[in-house]
Amino acid sequence: MLSIKNLHASVNGEEILKGINLEIKAGEVHAIMGPNGSGKSTLSQVLAGNETFEVTEGDVTLNGENLLELETEERAREGIFLAFQYPVEIPGVSNLQFLRTAVNAMRQHKGEGEMNAAEFMKLAKEVSRQVDLDPAFLKRGVNEGFSGGEKKRNEIMQALLLQPKLAILDETDSGLDIDALQVVSNGVNALRAEDRAILMVTHYQRLLNHIVPDYVHVLAGGRIVKSGGRELALELEERGYGWLGVKDEEAANSAN
Amino acid sequence: MATTDTEVNELIKREYEHGFVTDIESDTFEPGLNEDVIARLSAIKEEPEWMLAWRLKAYRRWLEMEEPDWAHVGYPKVDYNSISYYSAPKRKEDMPQSLDEVDPELLRTYEKLGIPLHEREKLAGVAVDAVFDSVSVATTFKEPLAKAGVIFCSISEAVRDYPELVQKYLGTVVPHGDNFFAALNSAVFSDGTFVYVPKGVRCPMELSTYFRINAANTGQFERTLIIAEDSSYVSYLEGCTAPMRDENQLHAAVVELVALDDAQIKYSTVQNWYPGDENGKGGIFNFVTKRGACIGRNSKISWTQVETGSAVTWKYPSCVLRGDNSVGEFYSVALTNNYQQADTGTKMVHLGKNTSSTIISKGISAGRSSNAYRGLVKFGPGAEGARNFTQCDSLLIGDRCGAHTFPYIESKNKSAIVEHEATTSKVSDEQMFLCRQRGIDPEQAVSMIVNGFCKEVFKELPMEFAVEAGKLLEVSLEGSVG
Amino acid sequence: MKQAPTLPAAFLHPAGQSMPEPLLALRKQRGTALVDMPLPTRKTENWKYSSKYLKLTDDMAISLPAEGKSGSSLAVPGYRVVFLNGVMMPEASDYPDLDGITIERFGDLDDDEAAELADRMDSTLGDRSGQSAVQMASLNSARFEDGLLIRLKPEAVLDQPLFIVHEVTADASGSAYPRIFVEAGRHSQITLVEEYISSGGESVMVNTVTEFTLADGANVTSIRLNMEGDNVQHIGATGVRQQRSSRFESHCVGFGGPLRRHDLQVRLEGEGAECKLNGVVVTQGKQHYDNHTTIEHVAAHCNSEETYRNIAADQSHAVFNGRIHIHQDAQKSNANMNNKNLLLSNGAEIDTKPELEIYADDVKCAHGATIGQLDKTSLFYLVSRGIGRREANVLLTMAFINELVQQIPVEQVRETAQTRLNQFFDQTFEGA
Repeated sequence: MLSIKNLHASVNGEEILKGINLEIKAGEVHAIMGPNGSGKSTLSQVLAGNETFEVTEGDVTLNGENLLELETEERAREGIFLAFQYPVEIPGVSNLQFLRTAVNAMRQHKGEGEMNAAEFMKLAKEVSRQVDLDPAFLKRGVNEGFSGGEKKRNEIMQALLLQPKLAILDETDSGLDIDALQVVSNGVNALRAEDRAILMVTHYQRLLNHIVPDYVHVLAGGRIVKSGGRELALELEERGYGWLGVKDEEAANSAN
Repeated sequence: MATTDTEVNELIKREYEHGFVTDIESDTFEPGLNEDVIARLSAIKEEPEWMLAWRLKAYRRWLEMEEPDWAHVGYPKVDYNSISYYSAPKRKEDMPQSLDEVDPELLRTYEKLGIPLHEREKLAGVAVDAVFDSVSVATTFKEPLAKAGVIFCSISEAVRDYPELVQKYLGTVVPHGDNFFAALNSAVFSDGTFVYVPKGVRCPMELSTYFRINAANTGQFERTLIIAEDSSYVSYLEGCTAPMRDENQLHAAVVELVALDDAQIKYSTVQNWYPGDENGKGGIFNFVTKRGACIGRNSKISWTQVETGSAVTWKYPSCVLRGDNSVGEFYSVALTNNYQQADTGTKMVHLGKNTSSTIISKGISAGRSSNAYRGLVKFGPGAEGARNFTQCDSLLIGDRCGAHTFPYIESKNKSAIVEHEATTSKVSDEQMFLCRQRGIDPEQAVSMIVNGFCKEVFKELPMEFAVEAGKLLEVSLEGSVG
Repeated sequence: MKQAPTLPAAFLHPAGQSMPEPLLALRKQRGTALVDMPLPTRKTENWKYSSKYLKLTDDMAISLPAEGKSGSSLAVPGYRVVFLNGVMMPEASDYPDLDGITIERFGDLDDDEAAELADRMDSTLGDRSGQSAVQMASLNSARFEDGLLIRLKPEAVLDQPLFIVHEVTADASGSAYPRIFVEAGRHSQITLVEEYISSGGESVMVNTVTEFTLADGANVTSIRLNMEGDNVQHIGATGVRQQRSSRFESHCVGFGGPLRRHDLQVRLEGEGAECKLNGVVVTQGKQHYDNHTTIEHVAAHCNSEETYRNIAADQSHAVFNGRIHIHQDAQKSNANMNNKNLLLSNGAEIDTKPELEIYADDVKCAHGATIGQLDKTSLFYLVSRGIGRREANVLLTMAFINELVQQIPVEQVRETAQTRLNQFFDQTFEGA
């Protein structure tokens, strides 16, 4: 489904991704782990089309189509969904209005008719219950005044609504207590499907106890330095990143 | 982000839709201003002696005044002698007796503006007074209004037909020498709207005026006077457009509102005068004095404005809260783009006991424009228990524009309470990225974010205007987000 | 049109000639520029609310005598410099020779140093062509008779606060023009306390200017305590220029007078610079106090935080005008301004004008202002717990400013301020 070949990307002239290669097939769940500063978030932003990052080399295709030529919104309509690490607030724009606009943009793209307000409301309420969010949240401004956990649940709810082909979850577990982690994981597991792939980006393997990946990749210094199965994550948890010859910048920084 | 900036710029660049010139015959004065011009103007309008005397008094006062320079705007000096002070569409007959008799060319103009008078009559139930250049051309719905006892006519007619009312109230809220532009207006006002709602009457429909400057080198100086007697209610809307012209044109209006005991006046404006082109050429100078007096107890005056037009705007719809328990409100959205400059806001002068006021101002600056809020909240010694709440937010789109806030707060009463808050923010790259990642077009995203920013004001507009206002913002912003 | 009154010519005759030539030349040049300077009127935007309190008479033009005995009994910890009627009193001052720190009178500078200083004087006060906020400060530049240049070499740290006591002895009409210039080198650190006091009862004017320049990483705390008598008109200006990552903190505590005016201007010129401005003003009787602050965000990534509180009792009048100006290149600026006011009496007046002028888009700016009286519910709550009405008023009034008082980093200043505040409470809430 997603094929990444020799992907290089930089921000403000500084190269962050230095040749990423990755194949993801439909139905698979991949986890990307790595120390802070390794390029994990950059990879997810580049895939979603954030223009802060410049792709300098390489190819990315989604079901054979060149992703890099598409605008951010076109990628979204082709089925790329990014759950943000830091969900953005948009004051004054209600969640409901925002989501309906998004859903209808997708439907229009697929040649389906727009959903009317009542139909949409029903659907949105259903989905919000799935992630244990009070439907009252639908009427509030997008992420406005939401707690960290509520924002993360809101992201997963959007994924459930938009039904993407590839869901990229960027540090979706950060800042969640154990109960919230459970709720979010249930939401993500509900997303798992034969025709859908999931790419999780995370620093810790905690999340992987709840959402079991098929493959684990270690990203360091802008490259994937090791790939393996579920057991790789456990090994990382135990031994840190050092044994891979990777400097954990966070560990190094906190030591300073 | 470079790319989104470009998108925003394209969004902003959409052209002014109402910029066509109507080719009709008109009677226009030679440019220039002196006592003779004023006398001729008064004569054409068949005004009584006292009216001319009042005009001349204002003119003489104006001659002694200096053009104000304190506002945060810069514009070339206006040569008041190069302006024509009267332009009227030439009529085939003396006066049109009904809409059927109005110059069809003129009616088509209104249709182009999206105000088909015929249709309005049937569909909207809105009574329309249309002021074209300097004169009122048609007033609809006179009959049902007359049945309710409401007078809704041009101010010229009112001077002739209801002289006692006009004489009693004209200049009581905005005196003839109030400020430079108000004095000029008092001397040369050519037409405008007069509304009188008698005691206990709730005006059965929304009243509405559309203003349009058509002829070149003319100024428009309309004068509006609305009087709401005890326990009456009226909602009044005005809309403004002007054709595209390279030279600047002057619009110096005066609006006076008088609310007596328990009366309510709701005054809404959607102002879309030609703002000049994207290089700042042309456009209307909009120097307007709007003021309402809550004379009576428990009276209420509410101003709602959506301002997207004009090259330079200088405008502060205000309330003088004299009656005990009276209420003043000001809800404003001011959007500036390209080289537009706006210095707008309000004054809430609290004199009576337990008076209260609310100010919600949303400024949006894009392009190289400058957008300033200037407001005064004043509590006199007698304003026992008075309250004000002010919220003043600015949204910046692009890094070449300016957003400014100049609030003056003065209190002489210890039991009066004022709270003022202001914030400045931008449409952030992150917000845009989030929307686009969810599949939403950049144009739609910007419009959604800006509309969200303005929500508190839009909900104050009458329904049909709220839709129009949202669309207007979209159009004015096309090409602008970053 | 009526001619606006101008500065009486008598004000342009400085005394005290014992100064290096470049400073005398500067003084003369500033004086020439002030000939026929219109005095502020109600129409002068910067003096809108305060011009009526400015009363300059010819006999006030005379310099107060640079002699006499300081009546100051202020026991100050740390280092001390006393200015009496605008002239420094070495015998009353007490500060040691410090490593990397020089404290010199203008008269002791050699010509080169004086020329360099003359070049930099007034440079923190922005555009002199503008309205008369800074023009009134120019009067100091035309009249100063003595001054102090404090220089900190890179990384020099003044280990204790330096107190400068500005005292006027108002035994006859006249005026005084003390002047301070502080140059804080890279990563240097200083806390400067300026106390303004007076004795005697004749009408006098104090016109004072203090300037600070902060090099990269410098850390300066300025504390200003204004406690002059009801016969003293005070017009003061403080100018600050900050380079990269420097930090300036200001605490102004002012009690009212016949005219009190303080202009504080801060320019954040280097990235990462930060300032925090706190102010407390208390007025009573027929007193007046007017604080005008301007923060210029010139460089990117700077922060400013401003908090001012005014309390006006009786027939007094307090004014606050805070202006934040974000220049076009000052992206990522963070600016917060907050002004709260307490009106304790119906005869009193409070005017506030918090302004934002913003030319950069990627900024976070907010301001808030309130005017009100003591909260009746809180008062009732306290009284219902058996607290006396007077005591309850004092508690709540103090609570309104306590946060700011507690933030003053020098204990002796907090105590002095508290003593004066207690007097104010006694007079304002007597037996109520």
